[in-house]
Amino acid sequence: MKNLSAHQLVDLFVLLALGALAGWYLWSAYSASAHIFNLILVLPLTVIILTLCGAAFVGELIAPTPVEPDLESVRGVAPAILLFCGYVLSLNWLGFDVGTFVFVLLFLLAHGESHWYWAVAYALVFACCVALFFSIMLPYPMPMLLLRDGF
Amino acid sequence: MLDFTALSAGLSLLVSGIEPWMVVIPGILIGLTFGAIPGLQISMAMAIFLPITLYMDFMQAMLFLTSIFTGGGFGGSIPAILMNIPGTSSAISTAFDGYPMSRKGEHNTALGVALGASCLGVLIGYGVLLLLIRPVSELVLRMGPAEMAAVILWGIMLIASLSGKRMLKGVIAGLTGLMLGTIGYSEAGVPRGTLGSDYLLDGIPVIPAMMGMFAASELFRAVNSQYLVDDAAARRVSVREIFAGFRKAVTYPWIIVRGSMIGVFVGAVPGVGSSVANLLSYIETRRGDRDPESFGKGNPAGVVASEAANSTSEAGSMATLLALGIPGGGATAVMLAAFTMHNITGGPQFIREQTDIVYAIILANLGQAFLLILLGLLYIPVLANVIKVPMRYLIPSVLVLAVCGSFGLVGSLAGPVTVMVFALLGWVFKRHGYSVPACVIGLLLGGMADEQLIYSYQISGGQWSYLLERPVAMAFIAMLVLSLFGGRLVGLLERKLAHAPDKKISSA
Repeated sequence: MKNLSAHQLVDLFVLLALGALAGWYLWSAYSASAHIFNLILVLPLTVIILTLCGAAFVGELIAPTPVEPDLESVRGVAPAILLFCGYVLSLNWLGFDVGTFVFVLLFLLAHGESHWYWAVAYALVFACCVALFFSIMLPYPMPMLLLRDGF
Repeated sequence: MLDFTALSAGLSLLVSGIEPWMVVIPGILIGLTFGAIPGLQISMAMAIFLPITLYMDFMQAMLFLTSIFTGGGFGGSIPAILMNIPGTSSAISTAFDGYPMSRKGEHNTALGVALGASCLGVLIGYGVLLLLIRPVSELVLRMGPAEMAAVILWGIMLIASLSGKRMLKGVIAGLTGLMLGTIGYSEAGVPRGTLGSDYLLDGIPVIPAMMGMFAASELFRAVNSQYLVDDAAARRVSVREIFAGFRKAVTYPWIIVRGSMIGVFVGAVPGVGSSVANLLSYIETRRGDRDPESFGKGNPAGVVASEAANSTSEAGSMATLLALGIPGGGATAVMLAAFTMHNITGGPQFIREQTDIVYAIILANLGQAFLLILLGLLYIPVLANVIKVPMRYLIPSVLVLAVCGSFGLVGSLAGPVTVMVFALLGWVFKRHGYSVPACVIGLLLGGMADEQLIYSYQISGGQWSYLLERPVAMAFIAMLVLSLFGGRLVGLLERKLAHAPDKKISSA
């Protein structure tokens, strides 16, 4: 086995995770029902995935895929991902109006918008427009904190 | 093939007054707008405006709905090119080369090429349909569940085979998508892989998953860029370049014709057609090109291939609707509702007895293609300004649109959560060389593949010999194997042939 970089180790972990997902899904489907109608696709599919993941895992151990030079750094991307996850998970409490405003504002400030008043104005106008547009267009109520009754 | 009396009657239905055409321009604009906004679907636009058609006669209603369909068919390519968000599954392969073209500053050309290929595709597709509506519908009738299952698997393997040197990871991604696509209630009536969540009983919402994997994950990767296009000079919106792109599409006549044929015939397969047709056209174009490595890096031929096929798959799905009364997807399902609202039933009897109306609908779509050229050329320069927006504004705005759109599609916060989960998965997949399109296509078709396999099992009684009685299914399976191993087989044969003369010489 060759010395593996962090990226290549994560590569192996991804293969393991995909294999584990396939194994878990097979178990979930089998324990729900062993009837052929339930397993006709799932059984062969998961077995093939497990086999391919195993083959790719061994292949990566023997001859790891070279890391592409233009890969973005995780540190640069992680804050944006975390902010997005926070936005989605807080929608139930903050609603689409306030949640969108906070998300857009924080994103702008975190990514170099030097004029805070411009960031606030854009986030406010954009959040109001989008939340109102979708709440009018959609036939079911959207979670809102302040714009509950539209205008 | 053509009933000239009915054709003439159909034409006179269209040209007898201006009334039928008055709804076409608003229809195309509605379609363009809904197609261009990430998260809004053509079928959603048609469903929203369906009640209005109650106040129209059948012909006018059909013109209105088909014009939304036509406008939306092209509109979906705009976010695919500018933001890497394919509005529909039929625009997936447009993003493969359209988005890299935008990042190189060729967004004007890419949009023009897409418009040109779409309009020419619609013209050719409906032209073919005018001649061949009956044979096409008979062909669709031959597609049983075994053929459908084979087409689905073929579609996934086609896209996995695009991964080149990383084909193994492409196949793993495609099959994982297929597996995830079967989550929820199975045909046996039991829930699988739902983790006890009621939201997953109907399966993973596909369009939000697609938004997450394609758009959100790509936006994360671009988070440290200042603009979509780095070069300031390349960010300008040029009507001249859009026109030039439009003309450029015409320089790929063979790709357009091939894409149109694939669009009509594969697009006619209910449920599967439009998703597979654009991929098939793209892959065939890439395979036949002198420089296949340039695909995925901004080759206009890729945009032409995809757009020619996806705009004609509309004609294919219309064939199925008109000739068999079977809707091929969401948009044609809304059209079927319009049929019902006007007490009309599609099918062989409809084609036989009201051929003039069928021809009028087809001819009207040919006319819509010309209007789309005009309206598209006016509309694109406005939308192309997206390229001038700094990424720090574009990224959160598009993410918010995707989140709100996914809420609109699902009707609960399960939509936004799906976007989030699949954005993370897409980012990991892209980072580690797994094919995101293969996974999405698998996800899209997983439930249907399961269903079709069960039907095949029920019809065949579990006998494998049944497959031997289905030549079309066998042909699809053969093409599936060729998609996976064809390139290697050709390479092997070429190497053997290259060595053959040496052996002869040495033996002599």
